[in-house]
Amino acid sequence: MRLGIAVDSRMCMACYCCFMACKDEHCGHDSALSAAQPMMGQKWIDVREWERGDSSRRVKTASVPTLCAHCKDPACMKAAKDGAVYKREGGVVIIDPEKSKGQKQIADACPIGVVYWNEELEIPQKCTMCAELLEDPEYLSYLGDRSLVKPRCVEACPNKALIFGDLDDPNSEISKLIASEKNTPLPGLEDEKTLVKWLNVPTVYLAGTVYQPKELDEVLPGAVVKLTCRETGETWQTESNYFGDWEVEWLPKNKNIEIVIEAKGYKPVTYSAFTDADHYVDMTYLAKA
Amino acid sequence: MAEKITHSICVGGPIAIHTVDGVIRRIRPVVLDNNDPKGWTIKARGEEFTPTRKLQPGFIAMTEKNRAYSYDRIRYPMIREDFVETPDGQNRNTEMRGKSGYRRASWDEALDLIVREIKRIQGMYGKESVTAMTSSHHSWGNVGYKLSTFARFFRMLGYTEVKDNPDSWEGFTWGGPHTYGYYWRLGGTEAFDLLEDALQNVETMIMWSHDPDTTRGGYAGNESTMWRHWLNDLGVQFIYIDPFNNFSSVKQADKWLAPRPGTDAALCEAIAYVWLTEGTYDKEYIAKHGHRFDEWCDFILGNGADRLAKTPKWCEAETGIPAADIKAMARRWASTKTMGGSGMRGGFGGVCRTANGTEFARTMMLLFAMQGMGKPGQNVWSGSTGAPMDYDFWFGGYSDPLAQIANEPIADKTAVNSVTQKLYRTNLPEAILNGHYEWYGEGFCGGGIDLEFTEHIYPEPGCSKVHMFWRYGGTFMGTMLDTNKWVKMYQSSELEFVVNQDIHFHGEARFADVVLPACTNLERYDIGELCNSGNGGYQSHSQTGNSWQIVVFQDKAIEPLWESRSDYWIFAETAKRLGWGEEFTEGRTELDWCKRFWEKSDLCDRISWEDFTKKGYYIVPVPEDRIRRPGFCWFAEGYACDTPNHKPFQEEGKLGTFTGKFEFVSESLLYWAPHDEARTPIASYKRSWEGHHSIKARKYPFHLISPHPRFDYHTQHNSSTPWFWEIPENREYINGNPYLVARVHPEKAAEKGIKDGDIIELFNERGSVLCVARVTYRVEVNTIHAYGSSGVYNPVVPGEMSQDIGGCVNVLTPGRLMGDMVPGMAPNSTLMDVRKHEDCLPLGQMFEYKLDKVARG
Repeated sequence: MRLGIAVDSRMCMACYCCFMACKDEHCGHDSALSAAQPMMGQKWIDVREWERGDSSRRVKTASVPTLCAHCKDPACMKAAKDGAVYKREGGVVIIDPEKSKGQKQIADACPIGVVYWNEELEIPQKCTMCAELLEDPEYLSYLGDRSLVKPRCVEACPNKALIFGDLDDPNSEISKLIASEKNTPLPGLEDEKTLVKWLNVPTVYLAGTVYQPKELDEVLPGAVVKLTCRETGETWQTESNYFGDWEVEWLPKNKNIEIVIEAKGYKPVTYSAFTDADHYVDMTYLAKA
Repeated sequence: MAEKITHSICVGGPIAIHTVDGVIRRIRPVVLDNNDPKGWTIKARGEEFTPTRKLQPGFIAMTEKNRAYSYDRIRYPMIREDFVETPDGQNRNTEMRGKSGYRRASWDEALDLIVREIKRIQGMYGKESVTAMTSSHHSWGNVGYKLSTFARFFRMLGYTEVKDNPDSWEGFTWGGPHTYGYYWRLGGTEAFDLLEDALQNVETMIMWSHDPDTTRGGYAGNESTMWRHWLNDLGVQFIYIDPFNNFSSVKQADKWLAPRPGTDAALCEAIAYVWLTEGTYDKEYIAKHGHRFDEWCDFILGNGADRLAKTPKWCEAETGIPAADIKAMARRWASTKTMGGSGMRGGFGGVCRTANGTEFARTMMLLFAMQGMGKPGQNVWSGSTGAPMDYDFWFGGYSDPLAQIANEPIADKTAVNSVTQKLYRTNLPEAILNGHYEWYGEGFCGGGIDLEFTEHIYPEPGCSKVHMFWRYGGTFMGTMLDTNKWVKMYQSSELEFVVNQDIHFHGEARFADVVLPACTNLERYDIGELCNSGNGGYQSHSQTGNSWQIVVFQDKAIEPLWESRSDYWIFAETAKRLGWGEEFTEGRTELDWCKRFWEKSDLCDRISWEDFTKKGYYIVPVPEDRIRRPGFCWFAEGYACDTPNHKPFQEEGKLGTFTGKFEFVSESLLYWAPHDEARTPIASYKRSWEGHHSIKARKYPFHLISPHPRFDYHTQHNSSTPWFWEIPENREYINGNPYLVARVHPEKAAEKGIKDGDIIELFNERGSVLCVARVTYRVEVNTIHAYGSSGVYNPVVPGEMSQDIGGCVNVLTPGRLMGDMVPGMAPNSTLMDVRKHEDCLPLGQMFEYKLDKVARG
């Protein structure tokens, strides 16, 4: 049995429940596996967000709760001396608060920046996946059902953006979710087997709006929008909707994309775009053919 | 070390509290166990929907431990160090309020002083010379709530009541009843069973000035967020209309339309124009249910008095939204089953707090009427209320007169105020400073449309002015308007004596002569139901904003911290010293009062007191064979109204207007206020008295919008919970001060030389506030967005009307009411300018200024 967490970015609305529950559990409280998190400055689960888009015509945000991935082959463990970082049965990675004293390189080694350096105690610190709670038979015994016991962040999530369960059981909720959704490991963890899996972290979109000739003040639904990446040979096709809007998500990053917008009775329009970031291509006013 | 688990409800939702040796260890959501009942199921479009077996509090609830032990708790009774108890109430250094430090006092000293002052002032001037005012939702619980304990004390004492304005739904209270009735729901509609209707039928959702993931159903936490995911996954299209691409919109919107602030009524008119010219509205429904529709059509089409056709092109110039997009929006609405509304209960939202708020509220309701409001999938319903519930189970909510310890049957004897004089919250400073104030209205006016036109004059003939002010609950510096006028009021010698009773030493407490430390509701007993604002009180059955209906025994988790005491203890002790302690308590402890609520409600038929207090909560099951009573359907379909909380005329198929119909020309306004220019008989867009057409706009070209906060509840959390300052969309902690985020469009930021993360100054003739810039495409180009209700108020020179660094943007908002006869506030009609702050930063004051050494002990 390997217990893990799936982080579904699509479902995360950045409500910060996970963040606060984690702080509530760990700030100011030593546990069997960790020293207390300082009251300020560390984010064992950090809701990382960025704005997507370069126009008020189309703007979204991405939200990615980011916590220790509990790697199979952890960079922090390799950097540690004297066995200061170890793996428990099941794979949870733990930093020993005593043996790790003075070992700042453990914090620096993390590829996703979730191991924090405690200046006061001179120790590296991070998420324990609340393993100390999960194995405490007294904790939540009043509920009478061990399956209700989850890491604090998962328990606090109102949105099924954090799912906890057995990665080795193909019928568990978490395994089914991982099988059905886009697996999007964080940069730096692509080749790593982890207990925390990130799903649906967006790449890049291109979007625009198609209008009839400007003087008509009318949108143009049903225009065909074709995208081509010559480098990879991939193509995408969509149609403008009732607002004249079109959008293609999940484009590969840092590619040149050619765009053709066509509608019967109108002259086609072409664009080229580069997917370095999300772009609103244009308000396209088609001319009559 | 065994953990004790108790439960409570706070404004962020219900919580489980773990304590170890009398100290709170952790705060968790309430997870249902296998003995709790099944949740409701809704079948729709081939799927079954049922809630997760866990209550879903908001993130603010997860910080209740932190807030209880917060650095800025008021720990001891305190007396202003330069306060002098002069026998005539004069020469008390009142101009030093807000500036002076405090000395620690004992409870005896503080309460004896208060009692001496009450006796002196009421003896000298009359009972009405004492006034007192609460904040909203200070702490959840039917015993401690302001309409319960506070009301009991002050009604027994006799005092000048300060009437609240409907600060979160102004336009709907002052507009809605004149268009479609529902004055008893304060201008909001009914949402009974509409979640099921929506899941089964709706195709388009209009989220107008609505950020449900932020306003969290009022007090429902995140109970409804999953419903909107369900709708999303069913392919329902979400159109958000808001000058700020708010936190729900940016995640969910299929389309975001950004009108210039305060021009939404113009957008309503242009949508109507499209429907009228294209014939795409429900003509049969309007013929049956509309009153004087033809006159309104004339007005929209350009045949009215103003001879102006409300075309999409005209609307584009007003709102900034392209005419083509307006037409597309109107056609989508007319051609698909569309539900929507403004704000969390359909009748809230920031637009209703603009100068044009009533006119927006009315025209939006008329649009829904034109599409057959009440038919399946076509209704005012904004996605955060209307879950199935057991309407036959009654437990009182906070606004239920039957669920307050001030009244029978909870009390043996109802407390009655012997003073008739009143004050009005928004203009309390004017009344105090000028010694005279006149206004229309009667608070929330839930008792009838006529109440809106009640004439008030202060002082009431034959009455004295007020000279003592007892302030109770969280600070208003960040929620009321034109903050600096409150500073002036506090420093006036007209107020001879000021008491502040609060949990935390927030912005307003530091203007008092005596500060009394109240405890949180984790430190005392109470009882309450999640998100129940009152079944029979106003906005009845707001618990339909929850997935689960839950009544909680709010057990005392820990003893009151430091020398804080419960509000009930404070009032009971004061009453005792005034000589009527026994009458106040009726011999009951707080726990006894809790039991009275159990005994006087349906709860006692469902669960024994022993089982209830042991388990800590009761989940009200929804019957599997529940009867569906979809809101407003009775009106559309023409059967006798069957929804809860209805009036007799609804059984005849009538609305609460004069004619019983949707009034496109309002008969009630023609009767009471035919010449009012702010709110005309024909609801119509009007240029704001502080908007882009104002002369002032040449000097102050930006609109400030300051909606209800995502990262707070009223003003309760931000000052006390430094964890909030680590949320980049909320604040940035720089140089000892948590600067509030203000959002600027990249185009305007470039013009002003502002970069993301810069310290910027928001300013107008009323004051200035330093914020930290977020440069973002999420705001309309002429708009600055900064959340209102700042929990931090931190003027650079304490107690002066100086620059604020706490993010209290209400410093900039106009104190003006919507209209002469429309006593609503309009903070979202604010003009201002912005510039990069080039000077060095003021030194942070968060910790130094808050509590002086003596008070910290």
